Amino acid sequence: MSDTPLSPARRATVLLLWLVLMLLGGWVIARGSFSADLSAFLPASPDPRQRVLIEQIQSGVAARTLMLGITGGDDMQRAEASNQLATALRASGLFEQVHNGNTATWQDSGAGEWLFAHRYHLSPAVDARHFTVEGLREAIDDTLSLLGTPAGASIKPLLESDPTGETRRIVEAMLPPDAPRSQHGVWVSRQVPRAVLLAQTRAAGGDLDGQAALLASVRAAFAKLTTQPAFGALQLQLSGSPVFAVDSRAQIEREVKQLAIVGTVLMGGVLLLAFASLPAVVVAFVPVASGVVGGIVAVSLGFGTVHGITLGFGSTLIGEAVDYAIYYLIQARGATVPGTGWLHWRRLSWPTVRLGLLTSVCGFAALVFSGFPGLAQLGVFSLSGLLAAALVTRWVLPALMPDGAAGLGLRRRLGEGAAGALRWLPRARLPLLGLGALSLGLLLWQQGALWRGDLASLSPISRSALALDADLRADLSASDARTLVVVPGLDAQAALRAAELAGARLDALVAQGRLVGYDSPARWLPSLATQQARLASLPDATVLGQRLKEAVAGGPLKAERLQPFVDAVQQARQRPPVDRAALQGSPLAPLVDALLFEAPADPVAGGARWRAMLSLQPGHTPGQPPLEALQLRAALADVPGLQVVDIKQELDGLYQRYLREAVWQALLGALAVVVLLALAMRSTRRLGAVCLPLALAVLLTLGGLMLAQVALGILHLVGLLLVVAVGSNYALFFDQFRTSHPEAPALPPSPEGLESAGSATGIHAGAANADTLASLVLANLTTVLSFGLIGLSHIPALSAIGQVVAPGALLALLLSAAFVPARAGIGNGAGAGASRGMGKSTEPPEPPR
Amino acid sequence: MLGLATAVPAAALELAELMSQLSQVRGGEARFTEQRQVKGLDAPLVSSGTLSFAAPDRFTRKTLLPRAESMAVEGKIVTLNRNGRSRSLVLDAAPEMEAIVESVRGTLTGNAQSLQQHFKVSVSGTLEQWTLELLPIEPRLQVMLSSVRIAGRRTELRTVEMRMADGDRSLMQIEPLPAGTATAASPAVPDKRP
Repeated sequence: MSDTPLSPARRATVLLLWLVLMLLGGWVIARGSFSADLSAFLPASPDPRQRVLIEQIQSGVAARTLMLGITGGDDMQRAEASNQLATALRASGLFEQVHNGNTATWQDSGAGEWLFAHRYHLSPAVDARHFTVEGLREAIDDTLSLLGTPAGASIKPLLESDPTGETRRIVEAMLPPDAPRSQHGVWVSRQVPRAVLLAQTRAAGGDLDGQAALLASVRAAFAKLTTQPAFGALQLQLSGSPVFAVDSRAQIEREVKQLAIVGTVLMGGVLLLAFASLPAVVVAFVPVASGVVGGIVAVSLGFGTVHGITLGFGSTLIGEAVDYAIYYLIQARGATVPGTGWLHWRRLSWPTVRLGLLTSVCGFAALVFSGFPGLAQLGVFSLSGLLAAALVTRWVLPALMPDGAAGLGLRRRLGEGAAGALRWLPRARLPLLGLGALSLGLLLWQQGALWRGDLASLSPISRSALALDADLRADLSASDARTLVVVPGLDAQAALRAAELAGARLDALVAQGRLVGYDSPARWLPSLATQQARLASLPDATVLGQRLKEAVAGGPLKAERLQPFVDAVQQARQRPPVDRAALQGSPLAPLVDALLFEAPADPVAGGARWRAMLSLQPGHTPGQPPLEALQLRAALADVPGLQVVDIKQELDGLYQRYLREAVWQALLGALAVVVLLALAMRSTRRLGAVCLPLALAVLLTLGGLMLAQVALGILHLVGLLLVVAVGSNYALFFDQFRTSHPEAPALPPSPEGLESAGSATGIHAGAANADTLASLVLANLTTVLSFGLIGLSHIPALSAIGQVVAPGALLALLLSAAFVPARAGIGNGAGAGASRGMGKSTEPPEPPR
Repeated sequence: MLGLATAVPAAALELAELMSQLSQVRGGEARFTEQRQVKGLDAPLVSSGTLSFAAPDRFTRKTLLPRAESMAVEGKIVTLNRNGRSRSLVLDAAPEMEAIVESVRGTLTGNAQSLQQHFKVSVSGTLEQWTLELLPIEPRLQVMLSSVRIAGRRTELRTVEMRMADGDRSLMQIEPLPAGTATAASPAVPDKRP
């Protein structure tokens, strides 16, 4: 390898190639899709219960449910606005269903008539006994007991055609025991003055563009309402999965942009101070930009879609990728022949940078194999981003700035300060070790309570938005912590039959007072078998007439008045059973579709493609013990393929599995880093000297987080991995001080040897080391600044990483400075001379040429 | 002067006065007979059973004849037992039902505020023989119920008459059970008179 500058042609070729690759990358990114939902953080190979949960999160009703609140004004205004808003939303055609508690609209929709016409198909009371003399008498007495009471007003009009009260039974099921509070005919909050509505969007949960357009139209509809003088004081509150998904995406986009801009400006400022040269600053950003593009392209090609959090993570890469540029720009200086500085850098520093890069790659490679696409994305992104940044530093920067950055800026002072700190730092070894031991003790003591984060900590939804969501859910009794029972079926009828079987078991629990109630698609659409059995139990006109006469004998109701009932029963016998197709277009269709749906084939249940979902309303009557999950599962054990899913528990379990996996991957990654370092160094002492400060940095960071009572989650773990990745560079550079560069044979062990090694290669090694030192401090400053900035982000996933990496990286540098040189010095027999020698070796750097 | 002083409280009973007296009662039990006149039915519907009340907010109506059924209210939860099936409801989810429950429970507990929330309340008679007239405020309730008239003696409710909007009406006669009266009502009345 000769010390000749790169030819202009070669430089132009490299730059052109880089430009083409960047443009290609830009093209891939522009065509790529971005997501912001939690589904990327759901496991790729779920167990059956998790599959139910994931189906629900990705495509279920929950993902399409919008909750609305109207506040301000007085209760009459809110009620009227609720009705008008509901009407507008129904008219928009964007919603499967809109509920605001107004039963009149239900009647207007024709649902009441439909239910009335099909009462003998739908009423659970209809069986052979119901139409015996005894059964008729009981049912009619039951209806009579409500006459002459305020409830009679709604019963009397149906007395002659439905004396056995089937319509009432069906309608009663629609007012669940945990129904929302009603005022002036609309749902209102129990806690605050607020009208509440529930709507189910037509757009799928994953269709963020569709959901965004829909939310905009809801807001527009409400804004139009508030132009009416009476509604001027009203405000709209929106929550639910669609809002979260859309807002998260917008927030991530906004914050990522802000972070990128502020980060770039801040970095630019620091670099400008350090280099006093604008071209140098621009060049420093080349590896950063390349890394971000490389990372996004790799994820985009590998996963098809880039998650917002991964994207947000991209801005953290600025902090690490800029280091490569800083090392290069500073360490390529001082060449005797112009245009050959990069060769010096390549000889002296590139092996160290390369090793640092490889350790980072090892660390993040562990994440790539995660069973969670989200975490795998972070791994692929970091890995390919760092690789791209390093490659660009190695090949493109020499073409751009072969001799590094010309300016000196404030680096002299930086170097002096750093040298001063270096003299002092090794003296702090004992206290630092003590602190490390203390952290370790704290860590072991806290162990269980340490990882308190949950799945919600991955989502960028603010606390206030979550609080509003919880409030609206409570108002609407739409708890998301419910228990779901899901039964598979080869077709819709099989699923309905299974739902009826499960319903029978649940009825028993309700009767025992162990369960408040449940919702089932079979309530609105019984299986054909059940409907046929009901219809078969209806007697013909003659028989019914005779039995009726007997049943009402001596009572206040004459049998002659009940001829409409006899006719209705005869009509019902002619009416065919209702199936899903017959239901389409009726107001009941969305109710059934929400609970009876097609899903990917269930491998456990023989490839069943249909699911019926029963949603339980937990609670128990006083004196009865609460229903345990085990008892519920036991009660439903004989329904084939049935899954009981406790949503909260499953989500927590999911996160725990996620966390366990991440801990193992992080440990494997750390192990890979150590193995790699061991292979590269082939010296236990040097390995120990490099690993000790990294381990201490991780320990002290964890200790600090514990003291600050931070609930640690997966992203803190990813942050710690980053601390090791970034910190290994510092430790390796300090290690490099001891060994100068690998090509120098028989390096003299004493500190003075640094200077002699330098003169051997014709370069002032002291100055080179002072520059390396300055570049380390500068790289650290940019890292701490950029991660500190991210630590202030409102996106919890990002702030978690920032809060770990900013202090962790600073600690890694300080600890490396405190331990690596001295350790290495001791190892090489220099002993107490270390700190003195270090001071000597960091004499003021040579003046700029 | 003396005659005037004794005559005043007897002549014009204030709602606050009655409510304050009623609120002293901590509980009680009674038998009831209810007669409902329903247009279109050949005969009045008659039922009977027991009522029980325990402060602050528990009220139960057990119908024994002609068929057993019950309605128990505690706080905001009402539990209906009919045909061997139990069904619970939150009262505020059905405001009309809440108003009807409150017409009786609010009177038993002497809760004027609760009564006035749902009804226009007027009182007549004396503490010895009083009548409360409740007219629904909410239009939604007005289409079901025209008025509730509750008559009583001191702290005892003796009749509850409901007139429905469609002309039907029910009249409930209440006969306090000795045990209930002994434990709850009697000592409060003479002591609290000024």
